[in-house]
Amino acid sequence: MKLSFVVKSFAGAAAMVAMAGPALAAAQSTPSPVTLKGDVMLEKTVTENGVSKVQLVEPKVVIPGDHLLFTTRYHNDGAQAVTNFVVTNPLPSAVALASDGAQGTEVSVDGGKTWGQLGSLKVTGTEGAPRAATAADVTHVRWTIPSIAPGASGEVQYHGIVR
Amino acid sequence: MNTYLTPLSRAAGIAGCSLVALSLTAPFAGTAHATGVLAGTLIENTATATYQTGSTTGSVTSNKVTVKVDELLDVAVATLSTAPATATSEPAVLIYSVTNSGNGPEAFNLAADPKISGNGFDGTIKSVVLDSNANGIYDPGVDTALTAGALATPVLGPDKSTKVFVLVDLPAGATDAQTSQVRLTATAQTGSGTPGTSFAGRGEGGGDAVVGLTTASANSLAALIASLANISLTKSASILDPFGTAKPVPGAVVTYSLAAKVTGSGSLDGLHVVDTIPDGTTYVPGSLKLDAAALTDGADGDAGVGGASGIDVTLGKIAGGTTKTVVFSVKIN
Repeated sequence: MKLSFVVKSFAGAAAMVAMAGPALAAAQSTPSPVTLKGDVMLEKTVTENGVSKVQLVEPKVVIPGDHLLFTTRYHNDGAQAVTNFVVTNPLPSAVALASDGAQGTEVSVDGGKTWGQLGSLKVTGTEGAPRAATAADVTHVRWTIPSIAPGASGEVQYHGIVR
Repeated sequence: MNTYLTPLSRAAGIAGCSLVALSLTAPFAGTAHATGVLAGTLIENTATATYQTGSTTGSVTSNKVTVKVDELLDVAVATLSTAPATATSEPAVLIYSVTNSGNGPEAFNLAADPKISGNGFDGTIKSVVLDSNANGIYDPGVDTALTAGALATPVLGPDKSTKVFVLVDLPAGATDAQTSQVRLTATAQTGSGTPGTSFAGRGEGGGDAVVGLTTASANSLAALIASLANISLTKSASILDPFGTAKPVPGAVVTYSLAAKVTGSGSLDGLHVVDTIPDGTTYVPGSLKLDAAALTDGADGDAGVGGASGIDVTLGKIAGGTTKTVVFSVKIN
C-alpha cells in the first residue's frame, strides 16, 4: 500500500485560489482566522483476553470493509470569536458512513441539497418508492459549532467504511 | 477521483457556494461492486467550513487526506455439475467455476486432486481445460487444455469468473456405478494464507496485496460415476427327435439358444455372438434367428450369417439391461 498524504499548506491553497481567477484574488487580503486540518486513521479492532477494543493506526494497508476515522481539527487563530462555524465534509465516493458514524450531527443523502438527522431522511428506493435512508446513503456530513473563541480549537469526526 | 472537490475557496462573501456545486446525480457510480472498491482507488477526504467573524463571512478548506485502497485477494470455486458426471471409456467432464472475489485483477493457480477420502475409486486426471469460448460446454480442440506445471486461470478482473473443465479417466478396477470425487483448488498467484497476510507492493496500482477472508484459496468437490457394462453368455439346447420325443438320436434336431445378457449402467459396443457347429451335426439352413426374428444365412444386409462353419450374429452396441437371444438348429448325423 502506498499511503500518500497530500497536504496543501494554507499558503498554497491561497495561491491556487489566486491563480484560479482574478475575481477571487481579493480574498487574499482577508486571511482566514480559522484553520482546518484533516486526518485519517484506520480503526483496527483487536481482541485481547476476550475483550475487543478499537485501536487507531496509520492507514498503511486499507482494504474494502476497513473502518476509517476521518478527523478535521479546527483552530481559531484570530483575535475575534468565530461564529456560526459550519464544517461540511463530502464523503469520498469509496467510503460509506458507518452506522452511527456521525452521531448527533446532520447528514445529507442528496449531495448536500437537504440536511437532517439520518433517521428523518428518505431516499428513493429501487422500486421508485421512498424508503428510510441508511448510513450507506449518506453523501455529506456537516457539523455546526455556534462559536469558537479566539485561540480555541476542537475537532469533528466521522467513521467511514471502505465500500 | 473525488468528484466533490471544488477548488474553493476561502473567499469572503461566497459562503454556501460550495454547497451548490455539490449536487451530484450518481455519487457512487463505479463503486457498486460486489467485491468492494477496486484496488488502487484513491480515497480523498476534504472538509470545508463556513463561518462568521463579526459581520463578515468566510470559508476555509482543509488539506486533502488521501488513502489508496489496497488489493484484496479472494477467490471462490464452485461446482457447476449438479449430477455426477459419467465416466465410461471416455473421461468424465467435471465443470467448475473460479471467481475472482477480490478487488483487483488476479490469476489463480489450479490443482485437481482425485484422491478424496470416501471415494469408490480414485480417478486419473487426464487434463485441466479452460472454457476458452465461455460457452460452459467442453469443446475438444477448441477449449484450451492447460499444460502440467502451468495450471492456472488467465488474469481475471474483480468479480469475473471462468469455467474450468477437469477431465477424469476411470482407473483399472473401477466397477459400474461406483462414484468418486475430484477437488479443484484455486489459489491466488500473488499469494494466499491467513486472512490479513499482506504482500508489500504486490497489489494492483503499486499498493499492497492483502489476503481476504477466503484465505485467497478455495476449492470445490465435483462427483463422477463409473458407467460400465458386463456381458454374460448362456447357452442352452433342446432336442426334438423324429419320434416327437427328446432323444439325441440321428435325425434329431438340436436347437441351441445363446442368450447374451448385458448388465450395468453403461453399454458395450462391437458385440458379436459366434458359435461353431458341433462335430457330427449339420447346420439346419435357415434356422438362424435373433430375438425370434429369422435371419438369412448369407452375408447380406441382415445381422446374421449361418452355415457349415458356424454362425456369426452382429449385435453392435447394446445398452446395459438388455438381453439378445440368438437361436439356431443342427441335425444329428
